[in-house]
Amino acid sequence: MTATQPLLEDTVLGPKAGRLYRRQSFATGLGLGILLGAIGWFIAQNTIQSNENFGSDMTVAVTMAGWVIGFNIGIGTFNAVIRWMLGHDQDKDDELYAAGVGQGKARYWKYCTDHKVVGTQYLILVFILFFVGGTLAMMIRTQLLTPNSTFLSPQTYNAIVSIHGMCMIIATIIMVSGPFANFIMPIMIGAKDMAFPRLNAMSFWVVVSAVPPLLATFFVGGVNAGWTTYAPLSVQDGPAMICFAITIITFVVSVTVAGINTIVTVLTMRAEGMTFARMPIFVWASVIGGGLGLYAMPAFLLAMTMMVADKATGTSFFVADQGGSGWLWENVFWIMGHPEVYVILIPPVGALLEVMSTFSRKPVFAYKLAIGAMTGVAGLSIMVWAHHMFTTGWAPDLAGPFMLTTELISIPTGIIFLCAIGTLWRGSNWVRLPMYFGFLFLWNFIIGGVTGIYLSDVPADNYFHGNMFVTAHFHYTLLGGAMIAATAGLCYWFPKVTGRMLDEKIGKWAFWMIAIGFQVTYLAQFYEGFKGMPRRVANYDPLFAPENLISSLGAFLLMAGWVVLLYALVSSWRHGEIAPANPWSAKSLEWHTETPVPLENFLQDPKVINDPYGYGASGAEQVHAVFGHHSHHTIEEGVKQ
Amino acid sequence: MSSDHQEVSNDSVLDDLAPGLDRSLHRQYIRGIFVLWFIMTVLGVLAGLYLTPILMPHMNSPEGRAAVKTVIVFTVAAAPVAALVCAVALYSLLHTRHRGSLDHPPADGPPLRGNALASGVWLITSTLLVVFLLFWGLTEWSAQQVVHADSLTINVIGQQWIWDYNLPAQTVRLPGGRELKIPKELALSKLNLPVDVPVTFNVTSKDVTHGFWPVNLGIQVDANPGQRTVIRTVPDRLGKFVVRCSQLCGLNHAYMYTQAQVVPDQDFQAWVQGGARGPILAVASSQNGSTK
Repeated sequence: MTATQPLLEDTVLGPKAGRLYRRQSFATGLGLGILLGAIGWFIAQNTIQSNENFGSDMTVAVTMAGWVIGFNIGIGTFNAVIRWMLGHDQDKDDELYAAGVGQGKARYWKYCTDHKVVGTQYLILVFILFFVGGTLAMMIRTQLLTPNSTFLSPQTYNAIVSIHGMCMIIATIIMVSGPFANFIMPIMIGAKDMAFPRLNAMSFWVVVSAVPPLLATFFVGGVNAGWTTYAPLSVQDGPAMICFAITIITFVVSVTVAGINTIVTVLTMRAEGMTFARMPIFVWASVIGGGLGLYAMPAFLLAMTMMVADKATGTSFFVADQGGSGWLWENVFWIMGHPEVYVILIPPVGALLEVMSTFSRKPVFAYKLAIGAMTGVAGLSIMVWAHHMFTTGWAPDLAGPFMLTTELISIPTGIIFLCAIGTLWRGSNWVRLPMYFGFLFLWNFIIGGVTGIYLSDVPADNYFHGNMFVTAHFHYTLLGGAMIAATAGLCYWFPKVTGRMLDEKIGKWAFWMIAIGFQVTYLAQFYEGFKGMPRRVANYDPLFAPENLISSLGAFLLMAGWVVLLYALVSSWRHGEIAPANPWSAKSLEWHTETPVPLENFLQDPKVINDPYGYGASGAEQVHAVFGHHSHHTIEEGVKQ
Repeated sequence: MSSDHQEVSNDSVLDDLAPGLDRSLHRQYIRGIFVLWFIMTVLGVLAGLYLTPILMPHMNSPEGRAAVKTVIVFTVAAAPVAALVCAVALYSLLHTRHRGSLDHPPADGPPLRGNALASGVWLITSTLLVVFLLFWGLTEWSAQQVVHADSLTINVIGQQWIWDYNLPAQTVRLPGGRELKIPKELALSKLNLPVDVPVTFNVTSKDVTHGFWPVNLGIQVDANPGQRTVIRTVPDRLGKFVVRCSQLCGLNHAYMYTQAQVVPDQDFQAWVQGGARGPILAVASSQNGSTK
């Protein structure tokens, strides 16, 4: 209507259409990535392959590095930097082109700076990763149907367990911070885009370039050491471990860039009146999760760099007979590894509280306490890593202190539960599909939390460590907790992201399959753990046969449920009922702009006057924001639509 | 008079929790949630008390039984908290759910933005619970740190993918004045332990990290290459069990286990004296719990 309208009509493909960088897309990325990878392989093959100690490792390292760099040059990650070095700045046309204006669906295959495109790209990538990881999980459960199954060889089994783990870790880290912290969060704070749009596009395409090396591990011997890749077992592994390390190093770059971007966006891009105390809880969760990622993930990069050095150049950080120590690996790994589970968990919890508030028609209960709790969880989580190492023999004297810090985490975690049930208390409880997943989260996360306190206790951990109990526990927290909360968020924001309503009838079928399949799968695994079945075994004592059979059948139902949900998502995305701008009558800003969301998000600038939780309030207190100069155009109008 | 006073303070608390709510309706909510909470707490406590011993195997050492006891105690301690979360969620599903058309949002709920009393009680309760968990854990942990003056030393060597046991020549004084003599060093592939004799495992690895886990003894420690880690216990119940590897150690991790048993110390002595050849006198398998 005003200033933004002409932007949409610009014909940016006019005079400059012939420029090289406007022809870049996923295809050129793929092409250049393969080309540079091949060149890297050729050079390494002819110069260092002859070294019998680390030739093949070095070859794979150079090849994979060539792929990652080539893909990112091809897709356009370095365009702006290169053009600056050549003395060209980007002009308005370039920026509009980079934001995907006038390119239709093709922009989803490009290095696009529009945060909504990036968010959607992330969403698709998350679906793909979950599908791959889920398929691998089904192969694991098929192998474990019977005690002495030969469906998979031990080597293949280990390779699948490792990549299932890492694939799911990557997918869960980006499942909310990718799609929703990019698509929704900037709109929530009234921003036109992220603070660093080009870095935003980079964070996505760098993850994409990290995926092929992960899958390539299967073709160069497979990772034998699990996703935790404990040294020195991983040092003993073949070149697959190098591919794995390249994936991690690349992925850490992405998470770091995305975390900085999220934090700076919230610090600098908020709309007028959007004080910290008025920010939706999901924005806080994104900032806290992103900030924690900045602390945690570099340790992963460090660990993997040392690993590559050990394997490919002959250092011995982790090789005991040359003076190294496996405990060093375990420490550096878990200094990343424990905060990382909260990097996964905190953003979905923020999304969950948004869902609880909207569908209970009540404010988030104890909003400030919830922020404090998430911050407390994040702060404590950096001091608990050695509870993964109670049974390693490293520093038994530290068992007490780490038991203390670990059990302290249950206090802020408990507050998050209080905020959730306080929001439900006396709410109107509009039970739509997002809320189904909200309730499932509460149930699963309670079980995940209570079983966590057994594991925090050193004497009990001396029985449970390394057995199926641990597997069941972290699936209850990460899959049953974080991923179910993320699914609640997905069902909640689906109409805004896709412009269509989700088919809740099919969605509810999916929900019940997921809910029941999940309980069967992992309650059976708790039982295996109680009885003493170790983790990560390809075959097992016939003693554990009945519960493994039940667990596998539950897992098949669970996967079928996800596939049905995926069908509902895809079919609704294509043919669903057109969504109104604010189908839930929610108050936060993303529901008070058009659907589909225009470029730069708002046709009129929002001015925030209250927090977005004015449910049940009277007068102006129930209004979150007013728009532009027309002060009468308020949220109440949106509610009436 | 005093009951009057009680009544007033009660109501002010209720007002605080739910301003403007019809008080009788409000009491009904509290009552409903209380009933659900009570039922689920009882179920949780019963599950902790009676289900845990069924789910977990019979343990052959105090450490093993401590693990079972911890699960029972923690389940009972956590039951009221978990039950409250479930009760509020269930009540909101059963009773305050918006019925009728789901196409449009229901009327707003009351604008409850927090409640200092509820938050405070919750915070204090959870803190006290954590203090209790910590106290429990540290007490049990320190009880397990007792080092017996005299114990049977067994060197455990993990390598891909077998456990080897090395029994150095030694003499262990037993409480009754008797002695357990290992006349010469023995290399064994199965673990036999004399009952009621303190045992010290020195654990190491020849290649990668393994996890030495004699399951029914309720203890475990990693076997690290280039390091020696130590765990101790006193097996106090006869029976067979399995030593497993609890740390992924490569290709045949699943097959890295050995049979183990706790036997009467005279049988152990006789077997050792005979050069540890042949099977040790088998103990009654009725004692062995759920492992084969």
